[in-house]
Amino acid sequence: MGNLITEAFSMGWMALAILAGLMVYFQMSISDPVAKKRAVFKTFIGIIAAFLTFAAIANYSNNFYGENRLLPMSLVMITVTTFVMALYFTNLSALLRIGGFMFFVAAFLSGYGNWLPQVEGGFPPVEEKKTWDSMTPQQLADEGEKIIFGGVGKNKEQGAIGKGQCPLCHAFHAGMLGERAPNLAGLPGRGKERIEDPKYSKGDPSKRDYEVKEAFPGSGTAENAQEYIAESHACPSCYVVAGYGVKGTNDKQSPMPSIHKPPISLSLPELAAVDTWMYVREGIDAPSFEELVKSYEKFIPEADRPKQADEKPAGATSLMADGSEPVDQIFAKAQCVACHTIPGIPGAMGTIGPKLEEGTTASQRIKDPTYKGTAKSATEYIMESIVDPSAFVVKPFPDNTMPKVFGQKLSAGALKKIVDYLSQVKTGAPPPKI
Amino acid sequence: MGPLTSKRVFSVVALCMMVGLLLLPVVVALPSLANGEEVSAGDAAKKDGEKVEKGRDVYYKTEGIVVGAPAPVTTDGPKDYPRYNFESRVLLWFANQQHLYYGSFVLAVPIFCMIIEFMGVVTKDKALAKRYDQLAYDFIKISLTAYSLTAILGGILIFTFLTLYPAFFSYLSGIFRPVMHIYALMFVAESGTLYIYYYGWDKMREGFLKWIHLSMSVILNIIGTLLMFLANSWIGFMMSPAGVDEQGRYLGNIWHVIHTALWNPLNLHRILGNMAFGGGVVAAYAAYKFLAAKTDEDRAHYDWMGYIAMALGVAFLIPLPFAGYWLMREVYAYRQQMGITLMGGLLAWLFIIQATMIGILFLSTNYYLWQAMGRMRGAEKYQRYIKYLVFLLASGFIVFITPHTMVMTPAELKAMGGQQHPVLGNYGVMSAKNGGINVIITTTVLSFVWYMRGNKVSTVSWAKFGNIFMGVFFFFAYINIIFLAIYGYYIPANVRVGLSVPQVATTLSCLFFMFALNSFMMKGAKQMGAIEWGKISARSQYALIMLATAFTWMMGLMGYIRSSVRLFWHVNEIMRDNSPWAYTHTVGFAANMISFNVLFFWITILFVFWLGSLAAKKVPVEAKAGIPGSVPQPATSH
Repeated sequence: MGNLITEAFSMGWMALAILAGLMVYFQMSISDPVAKKRAVFKTFIGIIAAFLTFAAIANYSNNFYGENRLLPMSLVMITVTTFVMALYFTNLSALLRIGGFMFFVAAFLSGYGNWLPQVEGGFPPVEEKKTWDSMTPQQLADEGEKIIFGGVGKNKEQGAIGKGQCPLCHAFHAGMLGERAPNLAGLPGRGKERIEDPKYSKGDPSKRDYEVKEAFPGSGTAENAQEYIAESHACPSCYVVAGYGVKGTNDKQSPMPSIHKPPISLSLPELAAVDTWMYVREGIDAPSFEELVKSYEKFIPEADRPKQADEKPAGATSLMADGSEPVDQIFAKAQCVACHTIPGIPGAMGTIGPKLEEGTTASQRIKDPTYKGTAKSATEYIMESIVDPSAFVVKPFPDNTMPKVFGQKLSAGALKKIVDYLSQVKTGAPPPKI
Repeated sequence: MGPLTSKRVFSVVALCMMVGLLLLPVVVALPSLANGEEVSAGDAAKKDGEKVEKGRDVYYKTEGIVVGAPAPVTTDGPKDYPRYNFESRVLLWFANQQHLYYGSFVLAVPIFCMIIEFMGVVTKDKALAKRYDQLAYDFIKISLTAYSLTAILGGILIFTFLTLYPAFFSYLSGIFRPVMHIYALMFVAESGTLYIYYYGWDKMREGFLKWIHLSMSVILNIIGTLLMFLANSWIGFMMSPAGVDEQGRYLGNIWHVIHTALWNPLNLHRILGNMAFGGGVVAAYAAYKFLAAKTDEDRAHYDWMGYIAMALGVAFLIPLPFAGYWLMREVYAYRQQMGITLMGGLLAWLFIIQATMIGILFLSTNYYLWQAMGRMRGAEKYQRYIKYLVFLLASGFIVFITPHTMVMTPAELKAMGGQQHPVLGNYGVMSAKNGGINVIITTTVLSFVWYMRGNKVSTVSWAKFGNIFMGVFFFFAYINIIFLAIYGYYIPANVRVGLSVPQVATTLSCLFFMFALNSFMMKGAKQMGAIEWGKISARSQYALIMLATAFTWMMGLMGYIRSSVRLFWHVNEIMRDNSPWAYTHTVGFAANMISFNVLFFWITILFVFWLGSLAAKKVPVEAKAGIPGSVPQPATSH
């Protein structure tokens, strides 16, 4: 309620100020006491009505995407306002009453629509069945680029991201900064060096000093560069490049998820396509499709292999989360958990970004003298932080670490669930229910 | 041949010539457009010695030479789906809906004008003729301001398409390129005719010129209707594409592209829908003017205007469900899956809302008619029976909107003992619903019959027999409808479906036979008192506003249903929607969005009305003389 009042004021302060000014003007300028009283009283009613209207609009805009059953209350408030106005502004009385009545009818119908069971249509099934094994290396590489960046030729575009979500953490070109994960330029050549690293323990996984020794019992270690790449995808914590481990684990655990498992769930042919692009773009002849798939089969047991995209009932969406999932899954799918600690969300122990206790911190940050964003409320601040992370960067974390694509990669429903949840997380209080 | 007849014949000939001249370019252009590219493309290909590629029409199954590019395979990104920081689909929804509201309004009003002006020309009563003429003039005056807004909104719509869906728009405009300029030219012709029609009103008031003026309204409506048909061909193509092969390549026959499976049902449905909507808007305008009126004369005029607009709107509302039925039948014939998505799948809850809307429309109409009886001397005799009509309507309405399954918490589910209520669940089935809606429509017919004979007493020799016959007819109509509704519970579902035919036939019999019989009985009837126009309650005007708002809302709802049935296709089965918004919103979101569109439309059009009242010219004195209320009105005036 307090938020609503604040928002109403911030939205309509100019109109309210003009009305208040008018009231003062009438008080000062009209000499006839009866006329003065009438004019001042009418303006006072106008101020209340304008405020109610702004509160109603604020409520409507806040809840536009939600399944809030109280949403039509906004329209009812406007109806009451117009009828009250009609009592005092007789010249516009008919217009106001008609308008108010229309709002009432619309409120009723909106309310009815919100009362009914809410069914949302899912995303389309995948577009076409791909015949991976008959593709040329270039075609495979193109598919790989689409999986990584969302389209052919997009590998140098800032923020381009595909269903593989790799650019969220990795950089792909020499000189580009990848703070959270190694730069993957030159990877096919570097693979050979990695497996010769004593820490890698080629041929003897039991000697490894990492959280996970083998991709699965008996899988062994990589024997060549391609197998190293495959193992990195399937078991990121089997070997962690120095400096890129989860903070506090002394580089024993990788923040990267297994790519063949949810939420990313790339199939083996898709992984092979990704690898082909890694070779082809550097002018190196890629291993054959069969060899690539075989390298993954070594580290991913049969039961764990995701079905190919064209066998799924639905999928292939460019959205990370469509909003139909519970909020903890949304956090996981969007990979928020990799960088942030979020109380109440399983596995959200990241330390790359700030701890998210926005119920307490959001309002403090808006008041921060260095804050230059446009948010007026905690919910607006959280939304702004997701879609425009550079609007305010929490100290001492660096800028440009968080991707700027979430506004486009999360559905409005998913964003709303995130904002709703985070706005309830308060320092020192038990986390909200999921 | 008398002078009047020869004038009429001459005006009809002149009219035909004008229509012919106007349509000549279109008629001449169409065949060449349909074949020209095909031939030229074929020639070009032959000249180059290349193999002519042929494609098979996805709907007509005919072969044609490929002359267009395949439908683009879009990907989510700034190239195909550039965007602001907002859901593009919602922006387009808004732009489209506003353009459609205004477009419908400005297409419907000239049809009203034509009808009313014609009534004015043919009526023998001079005072009444002037009233009709003034009313038609008022109607066109309202639409004129809205006309420019329609054009502006059309521009905004195109810009929205170009900026947010460039790949889709360029594909669609590539397909429809042969007729796009015709569309634009017809828009120019429509504007020109409208301006001459409006500004020439006073100059062409009398005699032969009046007939020419009336003829122009016919031309105006022909152009307007053709414009709408062309616009409909776009949405028809998007829903049920034809004239292209499986890859979406244009095969050179523009008529196939236009004349898709759903084009004609859409055309009919939209004409009727526009008319009902137009009637609602004009009725709301009249209600606004009535409530704002300062003099009895104004109140009388706008009361009458509201009544005529309401009657016209409802006259087109009644056949609308039948046109809807045809459209749905064609949808099922085209793709059964599409029909199931609409009526029994994802969008089925929206049809429950539609049922409620239909109920609201009929309740409002009845309420208005009962209120309107208050301004007739002699109608008191019917008013004491209104409570029984309320009972019938309320019963029918409650049964009609009862859902089969209900929204419940687990605790409620447990308390009720199942998904359906032991008593109420019985009313949720189709058999009961058919009974409910037919009772509602029959009661509305009865209200109209009472209104038409409110202040009159039949003087025909068989009046007593006629009254008894009508009473018995209505009584057995109700019995038949309710009996069939109950009987439906005792027979298998496949037989039950057939019961809707005798139920609807009963309702239509009441509509046509009872209206006709009543008109015969009331010919030369004795008047108990004049209709005191303007002496109607303010509440009745709110009923008109309710009617107008509900029409607008229902139009938004049905448009949304029609559009979202394509699911994740821009062009059904030809061009996929690969934007992040290729899913269907929840019912609640759709309802909020429709409300927003409805309110935006009404706020802007109320503003237009208000602007119109600022610029209102003084009504000529001689026209005012004929305003109802100032002189006793003949019995035939309603």
